[in-house]
Amino acid sequence: MEINSNLKRVLDSKKFAVTAEIGPPPSVDSKIIKKKANMLKGYIDAFNVTDGQTAVVRMASWATCLIAKEEGLEPIVQMTTRDRNRIALQMDILGIAALGIKNILCLTGDHISFGNHPKAKGVWDIDSIQFIRIVKDMRDNKQFESGDKMDVAPELFIGAAANPFADPFEMRIKRLSKKIKQGVDFIQTQCIFNINKFKEWMEKIRDLGLHEKVKILGGVTPIKSIGAAKYMKNKVPGMDVPDSIIERLSKVPKEKVSEEGIKIAIETIQQLKEIEGVYGTHIMAIEWEEMVPEIVKSAGLYPRP
Amino acid sequence: MMGQAQKPMPEILESLEGKEKVVIMGCGGCSTVFHTGGVEEVDIMEEILVKEGKDVKKITLPFAVFACYKPFSSMFIEKHKKDFKNCDAVLMMSCGDGLQTVRQILDEDMDIVKPFYPAINAMGVSGGGPSKFMEKCQACGECVMGRTAGICPLTECAKGLLNGPCGGTRTDGKCEVDPEKDCAWYLIYERLKKIGQYENIDNFNEPHDWSKSVTPRIFEREPLDIHKHLARTKKVIESLGI
Repeated sequence: MEINSNLKRVLDSKKFAVTAEIGPPPSVDSKIIKKKANMLKGYIDAFNVTDGQTAVVRMASWATCLIAKEEGLEPIVQMTTRDRNRIALQMDILGIAALGIKNILCLTGDHISFGNHPKAKGVWDIDSIQFIRIVKDMRDNKQFESGDKMDVAPELFIGAAANPFADPFEMRIKRLSKKIKQGVDFIQTQCIFNINKFKEWMEKIRDLGLHEKVKILGGVTPIKSIGAAKYMKNKVPGMDVPDSIIERLSKVPKEKVSEEGIKIAIETIQQLKEIEGVYGTHIMAIEWEEMVPEIVKSAGLYPRP
Repeated sequence: MMGQAQKPMPEILESLEGKEKVVIMGCGGCSTVFHTGGVEEVDIMEEILVKEGKDVKKITLPFAVFACYKPFSSMFIEKHKKDFKNCDAVLMMSCGDGLQTVRQILDEDMDIVKPFYPAINAMGVSGGGPSKFMEKCQACGECVMGRTAGICPLTECAKGLLNGPCGGTRTDGKCEVDPEKDCAWYLIYERLKKIGQYENIDNFNEPHDWSKSVTPRIFEREPLDIHKHLARTKKVIESLGI
């Protein structure tokens, strides 16, 4: 199927792709979405919108995507299997595809116990790998999970996440190859602070030839403060923030910490550009979207193709 | 067994507000093992309720006599028919299975319709003991453990994932949701290696068939010959010198 996705076009042309994340508001404030979208316009190839990240209620990813899309940007809708069963997920896929969204990121989702509705029931009727297969079957075989057929299939470029830093390391490669086998087109990784470990992961991926089967975008998050770095290091499972990063931030005057955080992000992207099999970067500037243009420009990724 | 814990006493007392004559009934099965409805716990509950001014009648079931098995519990209910008839409420010190089995015997076989209140919260199919227990089975009706090294990911993984761990496994192999708990997939991964089935980790597990757990599931079985089975148990007890 011909997929008319800008992200796919950039990745296929072997240009280093740039995506960024927009955090949806915990209200109906569409102005803030438009504002964030306009900050990113021209600097990225596509934007993600998180889907109830950390299990906190915010505007639905698909709705935020459509609002920002009106500003002329290409959305990547994030969908987790935490809150919807296979019926609801497939219904939403039909809806987003009909409304012109071309990219989807299939996720398992953060556990409910981390969020602001800890009494809610987790769904997890399917996992992210099964989800990838379902979207692919819908797209390529015009087939629902039930086996029933549809007339017009959703035109979607299928993405998923990968965490090179969680344990066991070997299992992470296995998970990725499972995702590839089930039909994932692109991968956005967890935030990379430990570039050496990421390089080790990429080496394993190249050894298996997986870098030729999927387009990997390395995740980058600019660190705003030492507190934020320590929080990510100690409180967020699956995050790997080496002590060297915290030391480096501690060495600069307090008012320069965020500037240093941006510098680290830029350097990380520059290193990612040199790694064989890395096709782009995904910038997750959490509640700091205004810094994305500067990062993109300084990393030598502006203008966008 | 059905893992269980007693409800907070204020909640139990609130449910019995305005009910003067109360029948409390325990269970000789899981509730005895979990100290929620054994003979001793029923005695303590009686004491508390009497102090609260209630007129209490108690029914205790000896060890291994399940409230949820009708042929067992009906024998005890029959003996206390009058107490049930006269009471304002029944407080069940068993899981929801025991409560409903007893309620049904009264409703359908004896035409005694009374309000029932649970003293217990059931917490899932759990194994272990004598002191530490862990939920181990979802009773999903479609066991996957032949593919997952004898460890149930639907139960032991907080997200019930079937194709490997989420991105939150801690460096020590613990779960992101609770650092006290093991990541189920970390355990599966290690155990597959030990049993020489490491390659299973690459297998894709299809979406689970939840149609097998549409509730309530109803079964028809040949009735058990209780006397024959109790005689066997008696032999075991005798061989233990009890």
